[in-house]
Amino acid sequence: MEIETQVKDMIVKLLGLRNANIDTGAKLYEGIGVDSTEMVEIRIALEKEFGVKLDEKEISKFQSIKDIAAIIGSKKA
Amino acid sequence: MMKRIVVTGIGIVAPAGTGKRPFWANIKNGRSFVRAITRFDASKYPSRIAGQIEDLDAYSHLSERLLKKIDTFSHLALIASEQALQDAKIDVQKENPNNIGIFMGNAIGGWLYAETELRDLYMEGREGVSPYMASAWFPAAPQGQVSIYYGIKGFSKTVVSDRASSLMAIGYAKKTLEKDRLDFILAGGMEAPVTPYALLCCNSYGALSANNADPQAAYRPFDEKRDGFVIGEGAGIMIMESEERARKRGAHISAYVSGYGATCDGVDRIKADASGRQLARAIKIALQGAGIKPREIDYICLDGAATVDGDTSEINAIKDVFAEKAATIPVSAPKTMLGNLLGASGAVDIIITILAMENSMLPPMVNLKEPVKGADLNFIRDKGVAREINNALVISRGRGGINSALILKKA
Repeated sequence: MEIETQVKDMIVKLLGLRNANIDTGAKLYEGIGVDSTEMVEIRIALEKEFGVKLDEKEISKFQSIKDIAAIIGSKKA
Repeated sequence: MMKRIVVTGIGIVAPAGTGKRPFWANIKNGRSFVRAITRFDASKYPSRIAGQIEDLDAYSHLSERLLKKIDTFSHLALIASEQALQDAKIDVQKENPNNIGIFMGNAIGGWLYAETELRDLYMEGREGVSPYMASAWFPAAPQGQVSIYYGIKGFSKTVVSDRASSLMAIGYAKKTLEKDRLDFILAGGMEAPVTPYALLCCNSYGALSANNADPQAAYRPFDEKRDGFVIGEGAGIMIMESEERARKRGAHISAYVSGYGATCDGVDRIKADASGRQLARAIKIALQGAGIKPREIDYICLDGAATVDGDTSEINAIKDVFAEKAATIPVSAPKTMLGNLLGASGAVDIIITILAMENSMLPPMVNLKEPVKGADLNFIRDKGVAREINNALVISRGRGGINSALILKKA
């Protein structure tokens, strides 16, 4: 499974979203209203899942799933 | 001319029922909802009984996304707030959010969330702790969650004053509305103490009943066989506003909040001062605020601590204030049926008293078989008694000599 899909599925599950059809290009804050605390939860879960260290400054609610997947991809390369 | 403050909406989530109709039906019929605690292993606790809500999710209107971030006490507050707003026929979206306030009280905060996350902290380290822990447990969390949920932005307060928390919050709401600082206030309290650590703390101070063999008969203030109170969980939230505003919008007025008083004993770290002198003074301040004489009180909703010092001081205070009328005024402690909801108990007692006024029926207490010496008051026992109630007094107290009293007037 590609990283982008994995990240999307993880966020859907973590936030308990009923609608899994979220736009992976939309900013997390604007697209699904992710708040700062939810972002902490997402970051910790991503670190565990992909075995990478993600700096708080690197990923934020003002990025899209695509952006975050790209950062994880570059770290795993 | 001082503004008159009224109650126009009621929300109640309690062991005796969720929603004012089923709740009142159970209260007036003297049904006890104290049960053994089974949601965790409570077998080693001296007191392992409580008034519990088993079907909270059935009444919930909240998303999974929100529920995973909040403790039960915030969940209770959100359900009761929604009920109160619906009962008052208020659509928050059509109001000015800057002019709405939230005044709520609780005694201990949100421990189920805290306990779970603290266990994870020690088992897994900091990475194992939910980031929501930071905002889920603290006593002001329900106020914050209610404000976020509805977009409320006005002057608000969380009151932490042990078992007197919510009555005090309602008292402060009254004062704030009198000063015309807000259009309306969601006022009341919530508590969720049926958790392993919270129950341990409540047990530690030695005021809980250990009559585990007969849960429904355990909470019996003023009775020869009393041995402390029983805890309970729940929330009571009311909509309070000025009479002028309520009349203008054609709202149903349930009752007037006409007087409020609060004092401290300043005697002991835990126990009430047996003389009841300062509780009497709080009642006198409330009566003065309501502009009525003691003889005009038709019903007293008692604090009913079911401890020697608690019961003695309450009886002494009532005799001090009401003199020869003390023996005839109807009194009761309906919380004997649902447990003492700690910081939420005052709000729930106020709601019971308002429902009693609206239904012209004195609410009963259960388990009073043989009153202790000196408890020669007119107790309403086992079943409600039909009676007009024009003015009522509600007493709520906390550890360390906290006294608060509130007067309600029939609408």
